[in-house]
Amino acid sequence: MTNMTTLVATNLTKIIGRRTIVESVSFSLHPGEVFGFLGPNGAGKTTTIRMLVGLIRPTAGNVTICGFDVRRDFEDALRNVGCIVENPDLYRFMTGRENLEHFARMLGVEKAEIDRVAELVALAHRLDQRVGTYSLGMRQRLGIAQALLGTPRVLILDEPANGLDPAGIREIRELLRHLASERQMSVFVSSHLLAEIELMCDRVAIIHHGRILREGSVHELISSQREMEFRVGDVARAAEIVRQQGLAFRTEPDRLWISIDENDAPPVVAALTAAGVSVFHAQRRVDTLEEMFLQATGGETVD
Amino acid sequence: MFVPLVQNETLKILRRRRFTVVIGILFAILAVVTYAQYRQLRFHAQRNWRADIQERIGRYQNNLRRGRMNPTWSRSIHAEINRLQFYLDHDIEPDRPTTPLFVRNFANVAGFLLLPLLIAILGSDIVSAESAEGTDKLLLTRPVRRWKIVAAKLVTLWIFATLTLFCGAILSYVISAVALPRQGWTAPTFTGFQVMRGAFRIDAVRQLPLWKDTLIAYGLEWYALIVVASIALMLSVIFRSSAASIGTMLAALIGGTILTRISPDWSTGKYLFVSALPLADYYSGSPPPYEEMTMPFCLALLAAWAVGATMVAFAIFIRRDVFG
Repeated sequence: MTNMTTLVATNLTKIIGRRTIVESVSFSLHPGEVFGFLGPNGAGKTTTIRMLVGLIRPTAGNVTICGFDVRRDFEDALRNVGCIVENPDLYRFMTGRENLEHFARMLGVEKAEIDRVAELVALAHRLDQRVGTYSLGMRQRLGIAQALLGTPRVLILDEPANGLDPAGIREIRELLRHLASERQMSVFVSSHLLAEIELMCDRVAIIHHGRILREGSVHELISSQREMEFRVGDVARAAEIVRQQGLAFRTEPDRLWISIDENDAPPVVAALTAAGVSVFHAQRRVDTLEEMFLQATGGETVD
Repeated sequence: MFVPLVQNETLKILRRRRFTVVIGILFAILAVVTYAQYRQLRFHAQRNWRADIQERIGRYQNNLRRGRMNPTWSRSIHAEINRLQFYLDHDIEPDRPTTPLFVRNFANVAGFLLLPLLIAILGSDIVSAESAEGTDKLLLTRPVRRWKIVAAKLVTLWIFATLTLFCGAILSYVISAVALPRQGWTAPTFTGFQVMRGAFRIDAVRQLPLWKDTLIAYGLEWYALIVVASIALMLSVIFRSSAASIGTMLAALIGGTILTRISPDWSTGKYLFVSALPLADYYSGSPPPYEEMTMPFCLALLAAWAVGATMVAFAIFIRRDVFG
């Protein structure tokens, strides 16, 4: 598996003064996957990203990208990465094209590639205008375009959905999925929005107070939390029936949460109805990741 | 791999229009000074210059006799009396405004406060603005070592310091040529006036054609500005706001001058870079604030400041954690 990783972070720790901002964060990225880095604001996401790309020196731990240590072999390591850290801050007093040319010169990339990446993020028509006139969404796309220069194997994007309208978010999501599956890139995406991560990512790490709480495939994390919501007329009577069926559940004044898969729901509905309990609706939770996140973080709000 | 980086930095300075501002400021100031010189020229034309010089010398001598004066002032007045007397003895009219002399004097006058400040304006943006605008995050996550990036910024600043001086020279010629006599490049000039312990040393005085004197003055000025550019880079690395780095340079230039003028006994003042900055001025004969400050001392002192500032700038830039 080691030769199948593009980026490996090992025990990354950052301590400033007495404050531990990031503590022993480890994970690895594989080619062709979108990896989500999920956590509330101030959890240490951006500090971790800054350590990944060498902006901040870790207090302990190290990062290797395509086999090169970011601190020791900075140039070789960073040649394989494109990134946006925090905001897509580009040179506002230059045009989009001048910005891309600026970074292309640093990479030694040909100018033809500029039009190619601009095309990819659908920005070609505004490329010759000053970045100061761009909307946040357009700057976000220009940021992604500059990250794609030089066809890196790892793409690191900090909150890429920021400032985009729903249509824009979908475009970016499709672009990132495309880059992962067609070009075998590793895409690292941080976000504080659970729905985003759930839709976009294959694997997720959840970070809170500088530590990774859980890591796994999105599917795993969701199915470990599978629960169905039943809104019923008589909660006490319904609870009795469900208990008889040997299912785990919890109650609220007007509903029941039962730990079952969607496929196992019809028999339960049938049993309840047969016992004279009215079932108004039954559905699988759509916000499972959110619920899981709240549980994991001790119920703190996400925003 | 290095040239593209310098190209990038150059493009950024030009696109920020900072150099346009610098040229604009130079233009405005030179236009005003030329007008003043033009008035002086007309005034000169109506007067007997020998009588004027004689009167000035008398006035200075009165000042010296009248009283207790701090040694820096009294030495510069001595030097000025000797200079005027020298011209009088040789029957050459000094300071008659001409375009060549105007260009020559631009090096002396602007080299001390104006040009360093303009370079501080250019320099403040080169690092501070990148941190303030957040673009340093992209700049420093490309596969280029940080020392190369800061070296490219330093070289770019040197280029622009050179360009600023060059444009200043060209502009001072073009603007003053409109109003002042254009001849006089070969006029004799006398440099090397020295006062040692109150005595005027005539043996050190050299006669040069004005064009040669001008080239030397510009050479010295260029050296001083390269040093200023290196210090400006350090300030730009240290401060994350452009205003703070320009402000510090301004304070150093003005504060340093005031300090050496009001406390000439505080001999540590000779180690301030500001003391050694008016190289072209010292070359033409106005005495430095401390007698020990010979030309080689000044050149070495400035070199030491440039090397020190560059080392500090590199050390901080390379090691610094880049937070938001």
